[in-house]
Amino acid sequence: MKQEKRKVSIIIQVAILFLIGILTTGLLTYYFVTRASEASVKRQTERSAAEIADEARHAVMEYPAHQWLIRYWYMHSEEMDIEYDAEFNRQAKTMEKCRTFSALHPEIQIRYADAFQLDALSEEDQRLYAEITYSWLTTRIDQIKRSNHVDYLFGVITEQPFDRQFFLFSGANPGAVRGTNYEEVYPLGHTVSVAESQQEAMREATVYSSHLADAGNYVDYYELLCSFEGHSVLIGMTYDLSGLRTESREQTRSGSTLAILNQIALSAICLGLIFLFVLRPLKKVQTSIRGYKQNKDSTAVIADLAEVRSHNEIGALAGDVSEMVREIDNHMDKIRTITAEKERIGTELALATRIQEAMLPSTFPAFPDREEFDVYASMDPAKEVGGDFYDFFLLDDDHLALVIADVSGKGIPAALFMMVSKILVNNYTMTGSSPAKALEAVNRQICANNREEMFVTVWLGILELSTGRLTAANAGHEYPVLRMPGGGFALYKDKHGFIIGGMDGMKYKEYEIQLEPGARLFVYTDGVPEATNAKLELFGTDRMLEALNKDPAASPEEILKNVRAAVDDFVGTAEQFDDLTMLCLEYRGEKKERNK
Amino acid sequence: MLNINKTIENNTAVIALEGRLDTVTSPDLEQVLREVLPGLTELTLDFTGLDYISSAGLRVLLVAQKQMNRQGSMKLTGVNAAIREIFDVTGFSDILTFA
Repeated sequence: MKQEKRKVSIIIQVAILFLIGILTTGLLTYYFVTRASEASVKRQTERSAAEIADEARHAVMEYPAHQWLIRYWYMHSEEMDIEYDAEFNRQAKTMEKCRTFSALHPEIQIRYADAFQLDALSEEDQRLYAEITYSWLTTRIDQIKRSNHVDYLFGVITEQPFDRQFFLFSGANPGAVRGTNYEEVYPLGHTVSVAESQQEAMREATVYSSHLADAGNYVDYYELLCSFEGHSVLIGMTYDLSGLRTESREQTRSGSTLAILNQIALSAICLGLIFLFVLRPLKKVQTSIRGYKQNKDSTAVIADLAEVRSHNEIGALAGDVSEMVREIDNHMDKIRTITAEKERIGTELALATRIQEAMLPSTFPAFPDREEFDVYASMDPAKEVGGDFYDFFLLDDDHLALVIADVSGKGIPAALFMMVSKILVNNYTMTGSSPAKALEAVNRQICANNREEMFVTVWLGILELSTGRLTAANAGHEYPVLRMPGGGFALYKDKHGFIIGGMDGMKYKEYEIQLEPGARLFVYTDGVPEATNAKLELFGTDRMLEALNKDPAASPEEILKNVRAAVDDFVGTAEQFDDLTMLCLEYRGEKKERNK
Repeated sequence: MLNINKTIENNTAVIALEGRLDTVTSPDLEQVLREVLPGLTELTLDFTGLDYISSAGLRVLLVAQKQMNRQGSMKLTGVNAAIREIFDVTGFSDILTFA
């Protein structure tokens, strides 16, 4: 069961990235622009304050006798009669005073009188002049305050330790009340004590000629106008920044918003482009591939992919997938051909197996009407066809021939050689030769046409049924196993000649064994002792004898079954490596001599 | 599996075998012998590391022995008891030379 990893669309992944980018940009923009505008607001304020102070300064200094006037106003504030806060052309009292003064001193231009001229006047006339000019000053200061929108505009006289302010002038809005209470606009001569921060500010202003003190939303500004007799005359103002601040914040906000909106728009366009140029063609490729998985229709896939005309990697991918599909088709065709070929060979091999099986006598009981003996044999090839064989046949009424043989190798080559060998052994034995002579003849024949240098080991025996005399010859084959009546199976180490087909002109020796009724003969090929298990151990002749002696008096069929079972048990799950061939003969003797 | 180590000096060769000489591995030895044998006068097969030989292996030995009989001589060394028995049973002991 395949577990599909949770897949998220690439659009979502990119969108998330964009979102993070937008947020980051937005925050950074807001922060930095805010800081910049703060600084700008401060600078602006300072400049405005300086300009306003300048205006106020001019209002005072346009009188050439301003030093004289300041001193006079300072000394005689109690005695003066001042008309406050009247518009220029509505100052009735002051205009009256003007006319009076002009009448008294036509040689003096009120605006441009200097200190000398004033010193020469009488006390009364001096006071008159001071009152006129002060009223004009106040009105002018009111104007400056109004037109510049400052909260407070004033002039003060102060000295060390700067803890008190003597109000020289103070700007007022229309309708404001003049008085000495907190909310009222101070008149000339009102003295107040000053907070620590203001003292500091004034001190700085006297030293550096101006000072700007930041107090949250307000800014206090002091500028030195002039000094006299140890006193400092300062112009002061309080400026409300919140208006400016709000304005700059608005700008910042709209600036940031614009930047963010711009980013959002770009991101959206980008996502759209990704969708159009990446996702859609990619999905097309994906659909094609999925479709191919379902119905293996390569023509449809190639046609679909041809529609992906992107001039980028996706287009290349589509092209590559098309080619891959074509390759798969080719490959499948090749495999189909190979498989068909294999099947044909398999079929022929199966047929060959059946032909080979038919060659070995396999009807049991083989000679049901002959009670003097019983014979049983089996051949299990490792591959479909094998190289081992056995044979048994009656030469005449009294002679039984037994053969067991093992061709070098396995499979088809061994099978072909096996067919030839079996027929030759059968023929030469049938012609009445003794085992040794028969083997010599077979060897000569095989060596004559053995370019591939194949060989076969053979054990050939002829049993005289009436006497129980067994004559045998061994051409390089495994030792036969004998069991005499009443005893157990044991290897009979007979004399060995050379393998058949090995060398031309070899001679073979035959030997005789006397079988008693009840005796058993067991011959086999090396597939039995050389059967290998998973631990690469060999079955061996000892284990084989053990299996035989499990029930030595059993029938040949039983005996073969026991050996086979023991081999199967030993080999276990390992693959059968060699052909397993066995033959067992039980000699019962003539009817009258029968015994176990 | 079979490891084949060959040492060739002029016209003599020593071929040492390690492992099994069976149907699967015999073609490897056959190939080596086909390359080495031409022109050789003395061939030594070192069986010290060989565990097992089957009829396919015997076949390759037979071919080699026959050819060396025509060109010079061939001998086997380090043959273990199990393989010696196979040679005895098959009669190969009579045609091979042991050292």
